[in-house]
Amino acid sequence: MTGIRKIALVLVFSFVFLSFGLVYWQVVQADAMLENPANRRAIFLEKRITRGGIYDRNGVVLAETKEIDGKKVRFYPQGEMFQPLLGYTSVQYGSAGLEAAQAETLLGLNDSSILRKIQDAFELERNGHDLILTLDSRLQEVAYQKLRGKAGAVVALNPQNGDVLVLVSQPSFDANRLEEDWEKITKQEGSPFLNHAFCQYPPGSIMKVVTSAALFQAGLDITDLYNCEGSTIVNGQTILEQNDKAHGWVNYDLALAYSCNTYFAEHGIKAGVESFLQAVEAFGFGKKIPFELYVPVSSITPDVPVPENLNLNLFAASTFGQGQVMVSPFHMALITAGVANKGRIMTPHLIDRVLDSNQNIKYESKPEVWLTPLSEEEAEKVKNGMILAVTEGTASPGAIPGVSIAAKTGSAEPGGNRSTHAWYIAFAPAEEPVIAVAVLVEHGGTGGGAAAPIAKAVIEKALELKEGGD
Amino acid sequence: MLYSFSLRVLTLSIMWTGLGVLRSVDMLDSQFFFHAAVFSLLIIVGSAVELFLGYNGDNNLLPVVQTLLAIGLVFLVRINPSLAEDQFVWANLGLLVYYGILFWLKDYRKLGEYQYLWGLLALVLLLVTLVFGVTIQGATSWIRFGQIGFQPEELVKVALLLFMASYLAENRELLSVGTFQIGRFSLPDRKTLGPFALIGIFVLGLLAAQKSLGTALVFFLLMVFIIYMVTERLLYLILALPVIIITGTAGYFLFGHVRVRVATWLNPWVDSSGGGFQIAQALFAISGGRLLGTGLGNGIGAYQIPLAASDFIFAVIAEELGFVGAMAVICLFIIIVLRALAIGVKAVDRFGQILAAGIGILIGVEVLIILAGVTKLLPLTGLPLPWVSYGGSSMLSHFLLLGLLANISHSSSFSLSESALSKRAGVLS
Repeated sequence: MTGIRKIALVLVFSFVFLSFGLVYWQVVQADAMLENPANRRAIFLEKRITRGGIYDRNGVVLAETKEIDGKKVRFYPQGEMFQPLLGYTSVQYGSAGLEAAQAETLLGLNDSSILRKIQDAFELERNGHDLILTLDSRLQEVAYQKLRGKAGAVVALNPQNGDVLVLVSQPSFDANRLEEDWEKITKQEGSPFLNHAFCQYPPGSIMKVVTSAALFQAGLDITDLYNCEGSTIVNGQTILEQNDKAHGWVNYDLALAYSCNTYFAEHGIKAGVESFLQAVEAFGFGKKIPFELYVPVSSITPDVPVPENLNLNLFAASTFGQGQVMVSPFHMALITAGVANKGRIMTPHLIDRVLDSNQNIKYESKPEVWLTPLSEEEAEKVKNGMILAVTEGTASPGAIPGVSIAAKTGSAEPGGNRSTHAWYIAFAPAEEPVIAVAVLVEHGGTGGGAAAPIAKAVIEKALELKEGGD
Repeated sequence: MLYSFSLRVLTLSIMWTGLGVLRSVDMLDSQFFFHAAVFSLLIIVGSAVELFLGYNGDNNLLPVVQTLLAIGLVFLVRINPSLAEDQFVWANLGLLVYYGILFWLKDYRKLGEYQYLWGLLALVLLLVTLVFGVTIQGATSWIRFGQIGFQPEELVKVALLLFMASYLAENRELLSVGTFQIGRFSLPDRKTLGPFALIGIFVLGLLAAQKSLGTALVFFLLMVFIIYMVTERLLYLILALPVIIITGTAGYFLFGHVRVRVATWLNPWVDSSGGGFQIAQALFAISGGRLLGTGLGNGIGAYQIPLAASDFIFAVIAEELGFVGAMAVICLFIIIVLRALAIGVKAVDRFGQILAAGIGILIGVEVLIILAGVTKLLPLTGLPLPWVSYGGSSMLSHFLLLGLLANISHSSSFSLSESALSKRAGVLS
């Protein structure tokens, strides 16, 4: 059969032809493919570059690379405490968290010095850059110990300069045992790999701090008294107080202190949807937060973060943080810090300094104002309401004797038949704030019960360290 | 004899070098020394058995397959050690199947007597899969017996080849000459073409119903090439082209998953963490290999590509051994295909000719489609690379085919002297 010979020719020619496919990818496209952001090959640079260390503001080691038997091993001496913030880097599982976001810096790739070029040309061994974070591991430990066993997040900032002091997310994992525990971690309830500080939740009553700005800016008289009867009807929909409690006659300060839903719904409507949307935008809703890690944009509606208009019912629910409002604990901490810092939200920083292997400073964070949602007087008014919430209102579980604290609770309904998310935002000392905290406990119940004690412990520790002259 | 033996030694030295490299970078558990030793022993003993029983057929076929097997085993150890342990067992069983077919099947011609039974067996196997099969990765091509999964479509390859070879051996003239005219073309009548077309259409239809589209493509090309080879009529090749285009287009508009697959094939970068992840990671791996490869154990593809051990093992090889290594693997397959076709040329009877050449075509088409898939020339199909990819069904059925090849080669080698060969050429072709 001569047919066999023809077939043989066809097959061999096909093989030759398809081999050009290999030439195309392995020779022609090889460099272009390396630049594709989804390509994880960069991880192999670590064979000759020693990844820089990560330290807290006082020099406590959070992550470092040690050489054991000629192999580079990444250590996380603090175990679970700083995870998933730090993340991991693994040939097998890729990288995540700060290790992924700051890979270029940690490997010193964005350094264009002549020495660097020589080192690269000869593929010499070299060291990456070290990161000095703004975190304080003493505060981090308090927050971590308090939140452990629950799901949620604690974020604390220095309101005066935007330094992130605490960033705890629970549940977390031990990156030292990533390879061994991978299966277990991925299956564990509560998503340990997910940084809950950057997840979005309905804010509940802590949203009233934002709504307050709308009331002021619409020129409403906040000394006016309002009779809270425990419920009100807006456009055919009944708005209830928590536990159907009637607060009686309240002004703005008391309404915030008692967390009166009907007051904020009715006054919000009086202020108008336009003022409300302006206020939320001024607080950073619908805006990308300038930060070293990705934080999702907070939103009033799922389709458009800050819409042109809202229907009346959704608007009323949004004024006290229900409806479709979604915000991350990290953004809530920024909002709190803004109130604390006389109405100015400072750009948040996690990285304080970047040092090269010779301890030269490659980068240093500088305090900058990000947004100014409130005037100084307006910030003062919100603060007074929040102080009253601690002395007389729902936020009293967070009170510390001898210290003036401003705080607000939230118990946000997550939808479905599950218990509420517990929120607590606070700053202290009220007259000269050194720390602003946001705590979220998923399905924790009330903000005063589940979240307030955590914020209180962090604030106590911060004030104690401050006393110590730190 | 020395030739055959030294080829085995070469094969084994490739495997042991690979395992040694893996050991040096701490990627080899010690239990593999035992597995590799058993495998090596089997190869050496097999070589001795061939000598003892007087095997007189093709001397290159088995050593080349064993080299592919060795490369596959080394890469499986590197990609997924627990799968590699199974694969050693499958490889050993495969060698036993090969020798079983070679020596216990006295006369392969007897297989040609069951022609319709083979066709029926192919259909039954596919029907059973469709009814009782479990769906893995979108395709219903697995049957489970307790712990062990089995892919009947691999065995269908054997049954279908036997059917086609026996059927076409009998009806070659009728198919090539044709009995009635349509314009300039003469076509075979219904009686001759009917059974073949019927079984062909049923097999392809059942595979499409199982959504094993890659296998369906292999079978279709296999049938077309075999008919062309037997009849030498270009008409059949030309007819095949519109069939591929029409069914391909129909499949695109009928099945959502085909549309998704084509879309990710056209642009895997758009969704490189979702649907395009597999092909994108495969291409990252291949392109990272460049000319000489990253070296065994240094690639990312083994970790990143889903199904790196089965459907995408070629991408991992291309990354870690580079263009050079990938071409070496392709050359080994080209040798197998050409040896199979050569055995077909030399076979004494028409059944043996068609069967041997058919096996060569099958392996060639399988490897070509895989090669086209991983280099993004075709949408992904999901076929195992014969003897290299992880998988028992594919391993055993391909060793079955290899056993048949060796058997045909062995029979033709001593039943014909050189003079008889030239005479035969006059009679048969």
